[in-house]
Amino acid sequence: MPKRLSVVPERCSGCRLCECTCALQHFGVSNPKKSAIRVVALYPHPVIRMPVVCRQCAQPKCRENCPTDAITLEDGVVRIDAETCVSCRQCVISCPFGAIFVHDDIAVPFKCDLCGGHPQCVQQCPKAALQYVPEHELGEANRVAAVLRYAHMKEVEYVEKGERKKLRYAEIGREQSE
Amino acid sequence: MRRSAASKANKQQLQGGYHFRILWVDLSTGESRIVPFGDRFALKYIGGRGFGAKILFDHLSKITDPLGPENVLTIAPGPLTGLYLPGAGKTHVVALAPLTGIYGDSNMGGNFGAELRQAGYDALVLTGRAEQLSYLWVDEDDVAIVPAPELAGKGALDTERAVKEALQSEEVRVAAIGPAGEKLVRFATINCDWSRNAGRCGMGAVLGSKNIKAIAVRGGKDLPVADVARLRMLTDRSLKDLADHPLFEFWQQQGLMSVVDYLNTAGGLPTRNFQQNVFEHADQIDGFKMEGEFKIGDTACFGCPMSCGNICLVKNGKYKGTITEGPEYESACTLGSNLGVSDFSAILKGNQLCDELGIDTISAGVLVGTMIEAVDTGLLQPSDVDGMKLEWGNSDQITALLEKMANRDGVGDVLAGGSKAVLEKWPQLAPILVQTKGMEQSAYDARATISMGLAYGTSDIGAHHARAWTVGKELELGAKWTDHDRVNIVMYHQTIRPLFDMLGVCRLPWIELGFDERLYAEYYSAVTGIPHTLDDLLERSRALYDLTRLISVSRGVSRKDDYPAPRMFERPIEGGQYAGRVIDRAQYEELLDLYYQKRGWSEDGIPPAEKAKLFKDRLT
Repeated sequence: MPKRLSVVPERCSGCRLCECTCALQHFGVSNPKKSAIRVVALYPHPVIRMPVVCRQCAQPKCRENCPTDAITLEDGVVRIDAETCVSCRQCVISCPFGAIFVHDDIAVPFKCDLCGGHPQCVQQCPKAALQYVPEHELGEANRVAAVLRYAHMKEVEYVEKGERKKLRYAEIGREQSE
Repeated sequence: MRRSAASKANKQQLQGGYHFRILWVDLSTGESRIVPFGDRFALKYIGGRGFGAKILFDHLSKITDPLGPENVLTIAPGPLTGLYLPGAGKTHVVALAPLTGIYGDSNMGGNFGAELRQAGYDALVLTGRAEQLSYLWVDEDDVAIVPAPELAGKGALDTERAVKEALQSEEVRVAAIGPAGEKLVRFATINCDWSRNAGRCGMGAVLGSKNIKAIAVRGGKDLPVADVARLRMLTDRSLKDLADHPLFEFWQQQGLMSVVDYLNTAGGLPTRNFQQNVFEHADQIDGFKMEGEFKIGDTACFGCPMSCGNICLVKNGKYKGTITEGPEYESACTLGSNLGVSDFSAILKGNQLCDELGIDTISAGVLVGTMIEAVDTGLLQPSDVDGMKLEWGNSDQITALLEKMANRDGVGDVLAGGSKAVLEKWPQLAPILVQTKGMEQSAYDARATISMGLAYGTSDIGAHHARAWTVGKELELGAKWTDHDRVNIVMYHQTIRPLFDMLGVCRLPWIELGFDERLYAEYYSAVTGIPHTLDDLLERSRALYDLTRLISVSRGVSRKDDYPAPRMFERPIEGGQYAGRVIDRAQYEELLDLYYQKRGWSEDGIPPAEKAKLFKDRLT
């Protein structure tokens, strides 16, 4: 079952433990700037903190734009081959999410490789803002939320003892369950 | 026995923890240089507040006015700042304090310190005065003083926005002052990462006096760590331990706002300028109220799983649209119960205003409370306060007075000078102005817990709770305590808490979620490659207390200054289970004698002359 790294920005506190642990995992150094995930914080309008990390696109723009075919997609992971890469940074610019990173000390751009299926950032996130979930679950939360929103807006009319009444969908079944 | 582990350790070489570089900027000449330091200096002063105090001590003889160009401002993270470590986000700001005229420091969280370390510096020192209003831009080795007259009068948060736009980067870290810092308000703050303030002592005014509106920093250097694998192992484990703590989730939800309910229930919530200890509307301003109606998100400082920052939004009413990070407990009390304010949205407005204006919520709140009581009791006439209708709970007048202070308008000009200036103009306010050494007291009462009185009296910066907080312990165990116990606990706090400030970490994981303090020695050992025990480190932070005392003694501080506010002795608490309590003066004098004895200071609170020699060493 392919799994995806999924971000829930609303939960992120901006603590950057994900950055710290990623840099330690991949480069063995204490340097959040050598991390393949980066928390961007904006304030106050809009107020948000959001970890930016590779989504392992099925049609990766970075691969499409790579002039030396250094970027591959295998088993759901987009990788940069350091041998073939000429470090032109085209992938960095092409990524629609800004999820490919560069650093002076490192010869080629770097990105998330899902830590071989055990993403450290997910493990250390204290807010559960990073999730590693089966692909089929992606969007499920949004689907349920969309249905709930609809149910909250929607009313049904009915007649009881000759009197017209309205009931919100969202209220149906609530009394029994309480 | 006295041959310390530290001196043995000195013989081993540091393998990490430091860049051994201080960035030293003379704003008058516009020159910046790198001042190196050696192992001995690093190990003895550790970092953060330790570095700042030593640097201030070295330059003390040249400083007459805290707001003169000669004052030396040090911004120093610690050797643990910026690492993969819970609470590694602290930076210390040290200078001679405008508020008190003595040793001063204040710390801020956020990401600024981590970034400064990544820029390759262990500290940033500012001296002199820029010719015109400018911001300092530190991009690793490139340092520039950028003239920015267009920032004049801007709020601190607006300034951060403007500097980020000027540098075309959202990822630089910015510390900034508001209009109050520019106007040299003596409790002006330095604000970083939108809402993390170095709040106390008036460090924002020092920056303002140097014509520096903001400091922007960017860096990508590796932080030197001797044993990376061990650091990682320690933190993987620590994060798990913290997450398993039964209060972890509650802490993330409320942060320090949980203290409002705790203290009100315990009969210790300062109310109406420390007259009462129970606020009848506490449930309108506590953490549960915040969570239920105002909180829209969490924020955390660098590397911290606890995310105690609460982002709050006012959704309706006259303060609709107010968005602010916080308040935390101190602000909720000093802008809330202590002013009789029961409208949480007004507290949020006050908090946001203080952040933007760049003034300390504690000092500002206590001064406003004093004004309200003074008018209320006839010590001052309405004409003294520009005819304002100051009364308990009147949030419109309170916010108006906050603005007046920051802009030095009318009566605000007097208040902007802090407690010392207020008492000079209106000596009759001495019994009601709750301050020590010119610093307005934090939002914890001391009358039910005399050890907290001693903590305020002997805190090296003035009546602040960060050096020692003994309220909880004394309420719980105080009945069995002797005076020796009281002095010991105050001194233990005054030793371990400054250690956090030297290491550049937050003390809250330790205080709130039972983080074992010995772990910090393990961390320091892993990072430096030199084995340390907690006692080794405490020995150095204990010595630092002598150093900061010596700085203040040189400005005339002695026993006469080491007392909590007169109100703590004279005015019995109203309301709650400790009603009627005051600090017993005779007992306090005994505590003070005992305290000086244990510190090895004279009866008058002066460290012996030979102590000064211990700090005369060179940086390299």
